[in-house]
Amino acid sequence: MAKITINGKALEVADGTNVLDAAISNGIPLEHFCYHTYLPVAGNCRTCMVEIEGPKGPMLTIGCNTKVAEGMVIHTETPKAKQAQKSALEMLLLDHPLDCPVCDKAGECKLQNQYMEYGLYDFRRDVPRYFKGGKAEDIGEHIMLDQERCVLCTRCIRFVDEVPKTSELGIVNRGHESKISIFPGVRLDNPYSGNVTDVCPVGALTLKEFRFKQRVWFLKKTESVCHGCARGCNITVEHNKGRVYRYMPRENAELNKTWICDEGRFSFDHYQENRQTEVRLGHSTSNLNEGIAQLSHILEGLSKDEVAGIASPFAALEDLYVMKKFFEKRFNPKNLAAPFWGKKGEEDNILKLADKTPNGQGLTLLGIDPDGTDLLARIEKGDIKVVLMMHNNPFGQDEARANQVYDKVKALIVLTVHKSKVAEKGSMVFPVRSFTEKNGTFVNATSRLQRVRQAIEPESGDVIEASLWFAKLAKALKVEGFDYSDTPSVFNAMAKEVELLKGLTFHSIPSTGKVLDLKPVAAEPFQGVKAQPNVSGKAKVEKV
Amino acid sequence: MAEFEPQLTKRFGVKDGHKLKGFLETGGYASLKNLFAKKPPEVIEEVKASGLKGRGGAGFPAGMKWSFVPQNTGKPIYLAVNADEGEPGTFTDRYMMFHDPHLLLEGIICACYAINSHTAYIYVRGEFFEQIERLNAAIEEAKKANYLGKNIQGSGFDLEIYVHRGAGAYICGEETGLLESLEGKPGKPRIKPPFPAVVGLFGCPTIINNVKTLCSVPWIIANGAAAYMAIGTKESTGTHVFGLSGHVNQTGFWEMPFGLPMMDFINNYGKGVKGGKLKAVIPGGSSCPVLTAEECQDLTLSYESMRDHKTMFGTGCAIIMNEHVDMVKVLKNLTHFYSHESCGQCTPCREGTAWEDRIMKKILDGEATTKELELMLEIADNMEGKTICVLSAALAMPVRSFLKKFRGDFEKYCKAASVAVPEAVS
Repeated sequence: MAKITINGKALEVADGTNVLDAAISNGIPLEHFCYHTYLPVAGNCRTCMVEIEGPKGPMLTIGCNTKVAEGMVIHTETPKAKQAQKSALEMLLLDHPLDCPVCDKAGECKLQNQYMEYGLYDFRRDVPRYFKGGKAEDIGEHIMLDQERCVLCTRCIRFVDEVPKTSELGIVNRGHESKISIFPGVRLDNPYSGNVTDVCPVGALTLKEFRFKQRVWFLKKTESVCHGCARGCNITVEHNKGRVYRYMPRENAELNKTWICDEGRFSFDHYQENRQTEVRLGHSTSNLNEGIAQLSHILEGLSKDEVAGIASPFAALEDLYVMKKFFEKRFNPKNLAAPFWGKKGEEDNILKLADKTPNGQGLTLLGIDPDGTDLLARIEKGDIKVVLMMHNNPFGQDEARANQVYDKVKALIVLTVHKSKVAEKGSMVFPVRSFTEKNGTFVNATSRLQRVRQAIEPESGDVIEASLWFAKLAKALKVEGFDYSDTPSVFNAMAKEVELLKGLTFHSIPSTGKVLDLKPVAAEPFQGVKAQPNVSGKAKVEKV
Repeated sequence: MAEFEPQLTKRFGVKDGHKLKGFLETGGYASLKNLFAKKPPEVIEEVKASGLKGRGGAGFPAGMKWSFVPQNTGKPIYLAVNADEGEPGTFTDRYMMFHDPHLLLEGIICACYAINSHTAYIYVRGEFFEQIERLNAAIEEAKKANYLGKNIQGSGFDLEIYVHRGAGAYICGEETGLLESLEGKPGKPRIKPPFPAVVGLFGCPTIINNVKTLCSVPWIIANGAAAYMAIGTKESTGTHVFGLSGHVNQTGFWEMPFGLPMMDFINNYGKGVKGGKLKAVIPGGSSCPVLTAEECQDLTLSYESMRDHKTMFGTGCAIIMNEHVDMVKVLKNLTHFYSHESCGQCTPCREGTAWEDRIMKKILDGEATTKELELMLEIADNMEGKTICVLSAALAMPVRSFLKKFRGDFEKYCKAASVAVPEAVS
């Protein structure tokens, strides 16, 4: 630890922290553009100028490239420092277009925000504007480049150099003619390309999937966890009026840093399309209460071995827990399994994992059989009368086998988010909530227990969490012990019973998750990616 | 002026002086005997004691710079020779390399021995193809005669020298820009710290020295620091190759000890100002603050006198301007040069140099008022000292000195303030 003084305030910060980090993590505002917590220091924007006292008097220098030292005396608000900060900002804005009204970054643009904070309010360039050219240049599958908005901070270049290590971007020309460019014949198509738009402090790099879709100040932000694979990268679901517009990576220093892969980032659309929105009983639509009543009537007459449950690694811990409890209390828990049909997907040593389900470790935690070969065989044999299937389709594309199996049962009850082939086969279909519509917990491949918060409310009140659906069914069957008001209460009840969750409550889970004492099934992320130089000890840095 | 023995230019005009035979006949490589008799730290001490200052422009003591190299990193140590002579008005290194390439090699051997480096790179400006040919030929000759390669002259010291041809950017003459370029990257100065003496070329400790700095070393090694101290002035020891260009009757360069009065230099060597009275002198390359004729009266060619006149010795090549010169056009030339040569990395330099240039165009077009002159000064203040390297300062200094010392020239172009154009709002 080093004792330093910033603006007369005595502070103690970890050794190796840079001055910029030390200031902003202690609530002392300091302007910056090119600095990014998880990228190497470039020191080119020259906005984080501070004065540091030295043997020859105060010296003006940049905060981001200066490491703290014992006894260092730093000033961020002296006239000289202020002038340097303001003038650098003025220079950045010199030829910047004032197209904020049509710029997608408006509202979350560093240039815009800092101009409001530190700006020079009289515009002084009364010479012709230098036009860097190039509006809306298509440079990759997801990325558009608006050259004239670029402030040449090189964050995007450093990102593609350091994280995916694909180096598609570079600067061409020099002086004020410098501009960002892709190398000839190369497109910005790496699996992490979307992150360049997050690191871009201005509207130079934007996502095709988000351009002109929504003004950012209308977006509500909800903490969540990506469902693209078992990594469980932390995200913020950004939504307005019941529609999700984008996922943004959320900082988690131990997991995804501030990055997510494109596959995860663009999975938001998939969750909103082709939704099952109504209860269907046989060939007619119905409502939830009617459905539960009819189903309980069917189940009432069955013995405990005649009902099977197919759970899923897509379901939240709460859903799995209540489903398991339901089988334990009323039917045979041996008739519950979670066979997953899914193929292994792409993986790399950065973030992506081959297992594309979000809660495989949750099954392990709750002791639900992830295989289910035996159960499926018993269904096929005709031992089972009713199958309760949640978020799953154990046969995948093998429709012939699915038909063969499902024809053997009297009733196939499907709980589903999306319309699907198996939902069509179901004799009763109940819509349930997707992860953006509910509170819930998931355990990722590195055994990190993480929480998703409800972002949006489904249109129909019949669309409820699977956990509450099972509780409702249990009550209809007069099974006791299912008085849950909401998913947090389910979690709290579960935490009392499950050894590894003891002592936790839904609201006490840290927003970046908690690692459970459970054997991880994947390696830590960012294998082979250089350790991040700017994070140190106490320093906590604003999000991108 | 006292008699002196030319150290740097003695083979200029000597037949085959650039070849090994001619070089050896005129006392070449004679310093090596003294050199290898000393231990490397003793060599550094000798050069420190000589007071030799870096000839690239900043005038940093050469021996001191060498002593910064850490010897315990386990990494190789490199010497990079800055032969990217590109400062406008400067034209002496090119002749040094053309007429006496072996002297540079001898200097490199001395420096490398002192800092314990076994690899040196000569980064030569791309346009100097004749010099590159001669350097390469000299290296071949030196290798054959065992002045380079393994176990040089039985001393046990190994050294390889490589010539690297630059691709034409002023900024590659900045030491860390040079290293980047040498590594095959765009020539963009590096952020410091770490300094190149610790983390330099390919991440290893590196010393960067100018051609003339290294060419001065063999004489010091051969004759001793005390002899070198005896030449020149107290703070500016030794000799230097001084250049003259612009409005003098005789342009060129001359080697002489430091301390000659500037007016003597112009009148005796330059044979007087051509085409009128003296108006201004840029003393050491275009980035040095300009001096008026009055200021030159008591100016001498030395680091300290330049410093006392609030300018810099720079490269020691002066640009002389007569009374008919339009200082506005001169400054426009400079703003154009620096805005074109800015690497574009740091905001204040990238935007500031180009802004200054656009304002200069406006002034020349007769569209500006005196308000623009104040703005130019403010921009200069906002650029200088706020960037990674000193290119922004290299423009800020002329802008300030031109506007301060020749304001009349600028005001002639300005419209009266009362008809100031309203501010544009685009």
